[in-house]
Amino acid sequence: MRLEAWTKAYAPLPGIPDEFVDADGRSRPHWRRMLAAFAAFDQSELRQRFAAADRRIRNRGLSYRVVGEKDERVWPMGRLPLLITEAEWRRIAQGVAQRAELLERVLADVYGGGSLIASGALPAAAVTGSVDYLPSMHGVTPPGGRGLRLYAVDIGRGPDGDWWALGDRTQAPSGCGYALENRLVVSQVFSDLYSQLNVQRLAPFFRSLGAGLKSGGQRSEPRIAILSPGPMSLTYSEQAYLARYLGFLLVEGDDLVMREGRVFVRTIAGLKRCDVIWRHVDADWCDPLELNASSRIGVPGMLEAIRQGGVSVENMPGTGFIESRAMLAFLPALARGLLGEDLMMPNTATWWCGQPQERERVLDEFDSISIAPAFGNALPGMKGRSSVIGEELSPRERARLRDAIAARGMDYVGQEVVRLSTTPRWVEDGIEPRPFVLRVYCAATPDGWRVMPGGFCRISDQLDARAVSMGQGVESADVWVLAENPVEASSLLPSADSVRITRLLGNLPSRAADNLFWFGRYLERTEATLRVVRCLAARSVDPDAPVRVGRQALDRLMGVLVGWGAVDAAALKDGAAEASAQGLRDSVHYGSALSLARSARAAASVIRERLTNKTWELIGRLETVINPSPGRRLSAGEVVDLTEEGLTVIAALSGLFDENFNRGAGWVFYVMGRCVERGANTCRLLRQFAGADATDQTLGVMLDLIDSQITYSSRYLVGVALAPVRDMALLDPFNPRSVVFQVNRIDEGIATLPVLRRDGILEEPRRLTTALRADLDTERAEMLDDARILAIEQRLLLLANAIAARYFLHGAGQGRAEKITGLA
Amino acid sequence: MNYTITHVTRYSYRATVELTTGVLRLKPVSRDGQVLERFTLRTDPPCLPPEERIDPFGNAVLSLRIEKPHRELAIEASSRVRIDRPPVLGLSPPWEEIAAEALTFPSLAFDSPALGLFPSRALSLFDKATAYARESFTAGRPVYEAAMELTSRIRADFVYDPEATEVSTPAHVAFEHRHGVCQDFANIMIAALRGLGLPALYVSGYIRTTPPPGKPRLAGADASHAWASVWCGASLGWLDFDPTNALAIQNDHVEVARGRDYTDASPIESMVLSSGSHELKVEVDVVPV
Repeated sequence: MRLEAWTKAYAPLPGIPDEFVDADGRSRPHWRRMLAAFAAFDQSELRQRFAAADRRIRNRGLSYRVVGEKDERVWPMGRLPLLITEAEWRRIAQGVAQRAELLERVLADVYGGGSLIASGALPAAAVTGSVDYLPSMHGVTPPGGRGLRLYAVDIGRGPDGDWWALGDRTQAPSGCGYALENRLVVSQVFSDLYSQLNVQRLAPFFRSLGAGLKSGGQRSEPRIAILSPGPMSLTYSEQAYLARYLGFLLVEGDDLVMREGRVFVRTIAGLKRCDVIWRHVDADWCDPLELNASSRIGVPGMLEAIRQGGVSVENMPGTGFIESRAMLAFLPALARGLLGEDLMMPNTATWWCGQPQERERVLDEFDSISIAPAFGNALPGMKGRSSVIGEELSPRERARLRDAIAARGMDYVGQEVVRLSTTPRWVEDGIEPRPFVLRVYCAATPDGWRVMPGGFCRISDQLDARAVSMGQGVESADVWVLAENPVEASSLLPSADSVRITRLLGNLPSRAADNLFWFGRYLERTEATLRVVRCLAARSVDPDAPVRVGRQALDRLMGVLVGWGAVDAAALKDGAAEASAQGLRDSVHYGSALSLARSARAAASVIRERLTNKTWELIGRLETVINPSPGRRLSAGEVVDLTEEGLTVIAALSGLFDENFNRGAGWVFYVMGRCVERGANTCRLLRQFAGADATDQTLGVMLDLIDSQITYSSRYLVGVALAPVRDMALLDPFNPRSVVFQVNRIDEGIATLPVLRRDGILEEPRRLTTALRADLDTERAEMLDDARILAIEQRLLLLANAIAARYFLHGAGQGRAEKITGLA
Repeated sequence: MNYTITHVTRYSYRATVELTTGVLRLKPVSRDGQVLERFTLRTDPPCLPPEERIDPFGNAVLSLRIEKPHRELAIEASSRVRIDRPPVLGLSPPWEEIAAEALTFPSLAFDSPALGLFPSRALSLFDKATAYARESFTAGRPVYEAAMELTSRIRADFVYDPEATEVSTPAHVAFEHRHGVCQDFANIMIAALRGLGLPALYVSGYIRTTPPPGKPRLAGADASHAWASVWCGASLGWLDFDPTNALAIQNDHVEVARGRDYTDASPIESMVLSSGSHELKVEVDVVPV
């Protein structure tokens, strides 16, 4: 009954084809099957399932970014998939593979033989107008054997019912990882429906893509890296996801270095050769030495390495010019010339105004066609607009644009206005027709072109189909290609005999080591700050006990928060409760628990592909737990409660790491970060609360801060005394919070890390821990004084510097590579 | 005309540099009446033996790599060139014909006009420059004559002022200020010509340091110089104009490199691994022999 109601209320736009309802108003059977299944759920069940999908999206960390925004947005996923029958898909796939083959041949000719240019089939200026044409790649044979590894094309169904190519994506197509994520979410939430409808699987495509990338390398076990622009990129979460799913390294430009015509990854075991780079960075940003000098995300010398055949970069830098609209004008004829065939999937009819006849035609039909930039996305002289239709312009704009086309026609194309088909979009218990664009992916594999059966679909919430990019109001949808017969379940599981068993994954990249170390440090510092805040808030909350608490302890606690940059000194006059609240969740001071939790998340975001989804979720939760109601005043009691919750989340995170994190090199860096920080913090606290002027109260605070009251009172029945407290905090190897315990763990960890030279000489970090360990083992609590405690603290900080210098990208005292252009 | 050229660039860094890598465009090309007879490159500290390649604009590019830690770096390029460029005789075609021919010229080679038609990374087009050029490029006017007039007008309308701009100053800013140096004038001229649909490139090089007897010393002589090259049709090819000195290039100019803008043609591009800033000094001597 609901299905009838939905269908009845569904009104396709006049003259525009629709996926669900055909031209005669009849609904298509495969859509009816799917919608009937939706209608069979009662409203509350449907709501529950949608809520489950939302939860999965959040939990998987699915997000994207809008240009210019700092925070990522939660992925907006539509409720209904787009359905395409197998027969129809076969035609689409053939058309896409044919385009891929054509573009590959065009690329090979433009950068190689040059016959298309020489014969006039393709004007040179239609190529050089694109900033993505790289003259310096002229005559270079792609080391991976081809220009395109992954090709994508945006398609839509035109008024005639056929699919049209709207734009080719040859630079670094994004979205296929999102398509995979969409599939994982939908197939889990609607698993019954998914198997009933025989939806074709995506996994085999990714297996082929992986094999294709691997075939680009020259060694039998090539090291493959995904080159990412970094966590601020629009699609970072997709890159991290693909790296995890396919088992590739996720690297940024800084991780790679060119030496003698080859590219290497910086790892903690030194430089390791990188065979294949799957770039998600636009070519212009890939090599600051030869291309855009302002790039901070590239690899200096990458193009030279490509020229020398030392690394395969996929897609080849320089492939991007194919994306220009100007190219669309020539592809139909090029297909006949190069393939001897007509395009199976035509593109939007396009006229390049760099040719006199075409320019005249565009000017004649100015009012009825769309004027768009021939190259790039900004229409010259039409600020902020990417395309216009003549009749929509004011007389002044019209005259200006016509003049501009007459003067520099090569910057413009005219395109037929296409009205795209609509597909059902879910609205509160019902469906409405909305325009959409489908991105289809095609990979070059050892077995030829493979088209992903499905794609990345963007559905607009506007009826105007012209701007369907990922932005406000646009939803993505899973795309179901419905097989005629049941499909075999398939995942990325390779056959047993093709897998070599390994237990540890290669060499840890320096950047990952760096961020794991700092994640450990920030997390530990967050915990220490929370403990100080809790101690302060708890002691300020009890108005009846001023004598027992003692002014000194309170002052010292506040002093620690000031010293750690959690609270500003001026705030102390407002009292301990206020200071504790600030130390907890002030967003300006870098040392507040909230700021530190953010820093921990920032470090973790760079290594997201190494963390489980649960871990990433908990890291995000830490901030919301300690700052649930920003702006509202907190009582000291509330501060205590919030610190407790924060400490619980940290305990859960620590537990997750203990239980789940592989005991490889990455683990060692996380542990070293936590231990260095904990050891140094304990020394600092000792000097404040267990120094020469310690009192009963301050010693009590000390035991509280290192969570050792119970151990202490079970061991020493006489009450608190200086030497036993110092021993417990510093020298007791059985207390997991003592300094010596931290040093022992660091030393044991470093011992398992690779060394650069096997000459028997201890590397600096190991030398420092060995010496510190020996000194602490032989130290006696009675002999300790403030100066010796300070010396231990300083040695721990020296150790942290030595770890950075030995293992990380930029050792102490070294800066970034800076580009210098010498021009007088 | 024969010249010996010494081009010395000295960097001093505030902190030790562990590694310098880069590319050098310091070796003058042999083409269009210019022949390179001798070239030597010395650096202090010494670099690894440089590799040479020819880039897409026909320039010689040398690789630079210094692995020894250093606080100072000197790069000295010495060359000897022979120049005998023929004067441009006869009438050039109307500029509109050139613009049309450029769009159909079937080549992506280093001398293809297609490389000079479009805005480039460091050089955007702007309407005011195009309008400025139109005053010289009237209907049907021969391209050479119009380009020469534009060259002279820039010289007359703009003030040579080394304090006014920096390497990265965009052409439209220099155009507004009416002040600048050789690079700005070249940029303005190139943007203006491209705005009309004429192919134009950026050229870096030198001009003779000491003037011939009785002639004034040319501006920009003590450093690298820059000017514009205009494509004047298949038969005339690329012809160069120096808007800083209101000259058509003949035998006082030594070309080193060319490209779409200065980022394609800059003499030294290097990456250093260091934490500090640096100072740069350049000395150029161009002596007729």
